[in-house]
Amino acid sequence: MRFRFCGDLDCPDWVLAEISTLARISSVKMKLLCVQVIKDLLDEDIDYEKVSKLTSDAKFESGDIKASVAVLSFILSSAAKHDVDGESLSSELQQLGLPKEHTTGLCKSYEDKHAALQQKLKESSLRLGRLEVVNWRVDYTLSSSELKEVNEPVVQLRLQSQNPESGSSETSVVTVGAEKFRVLLTGMSIFFKYYYYYYY
Amino acid sequence: MLLVLSDEHKEHLGFLPKVDPAVVGEFGRIAVEFLKKGSNPKIYEGAARKLNVPSETVQHGVEGLMYLLTESSKLMISEIDFQDSVLVLGFSEELNKLLLQLYLENRKEVRQILSELAPSLPHYRNLEWRFDVQLGSRALRQHVKPAICLKLHLESGGTQTARVLQTDPATLLHLIQELECALAEVKSNHCRRILRNIK
Repeated sequence: MRFRFCGDLDCPDWVLAEISTLARISSVKMKLLCVQVIKDLLDEDIDYEKVSKLTSDAKFESGDIKASVAVLSFILSSAAKHDVDGESLSSELQQLGLPKEHTTGLCKSYEDKHAALQQKLKESSLRLGRLEVVNWRVDYTLSSSELKEVNEPVVQLRLQSQNPESGSSETSVVTVGAEKFRVLLTGMSIFFKYYYYYYY
Repeated sequence: MLLVLSDEHKEHLGFLPKVDPAVVGEFGRIAVEFLKKGSNPKIYEGAARKLNVPSETVQHGVEGLMYLLTESSKLMISEIDFQDSVLVLGFSEELNKLLLQLYLENRKEVRQILSELAPSLPHYRNLEWRFDVQLGSRALRQHVKPAICLKLHLESGGTQTARVLQTDPATLLHLIQELECALAEVKSNHCRRILRNIK
């Protein structure tokens, strides 16, 4: 059976198993649990005390608490990843056996935070060698050991970027002469022309 | 298969008959503890003070026991072979029985510890991927070139490394096909026969 929120693939077995665990707590508590899980997905601090309080009525053991948080994380992030709307998610979860009230609560929380979740996922997508800081300085060379009167402007660039493999910051300092800098700027402006052409 | 003990080793173990068998039992227990958790020099000093011998002698005695245990567990020698190997040391009957018991009780655990010392290759931790399309470049404008960027996170004995790879869709499909062949190989008759025999 193919599910849209699993990316048009079969639903993993563990998700099916844990949905029955979720059905054990009341729908109100499940909605509050969803709110906590969404906070965790958005990298805000999750309040584990609240989570254990919410699940204590249904007498969840620590394994059950971890399982329910994991399955909610999976459902919400996978649905955001595949851009599933609330109604389809609701019908698919009901097909998997989650009771109607629980599904309604979950989908309401999902729709509220849908945009924020997608934004967060976009930000954490793979980026290599991110440029962090650019500092520049324009110097004017008066003279040198080779030529008495040089009178040329020169640009010094300091680029701080992220090493693509290790993730640590690297700094590189580049000195660009006036003509080469003009070539660089022309290339950049052609790029932006294309950028705007494709986007707008 | 007999264990061959070096002269230095025999010298270190020569300390054992000079003390009570109960103390030897205690040394054996300390030796197993050290194999599990690493050695603690303070224990040598405490024991040396109680027995009124230099701490170096105690250390050699315990280390000799540890080496005897690891070598016998590594080769998984039988009871008779162990007894014959220890006979060479010229210990009393009681001491021999004690050493044999120490060996038999702890060999499974020692073997488990030794198995964790084998070298391990970097293994998979996480894979991030990204599907890009190159629309143009300084050299050529308006083309369409799809590319897939992969960041493979690996872990080897506690240290984490990452490798960045880039491929085009055709190579990626070929890679997937090769990996699926590898998985299918496990189900072939040849592999099944070998696995059945090992189990």
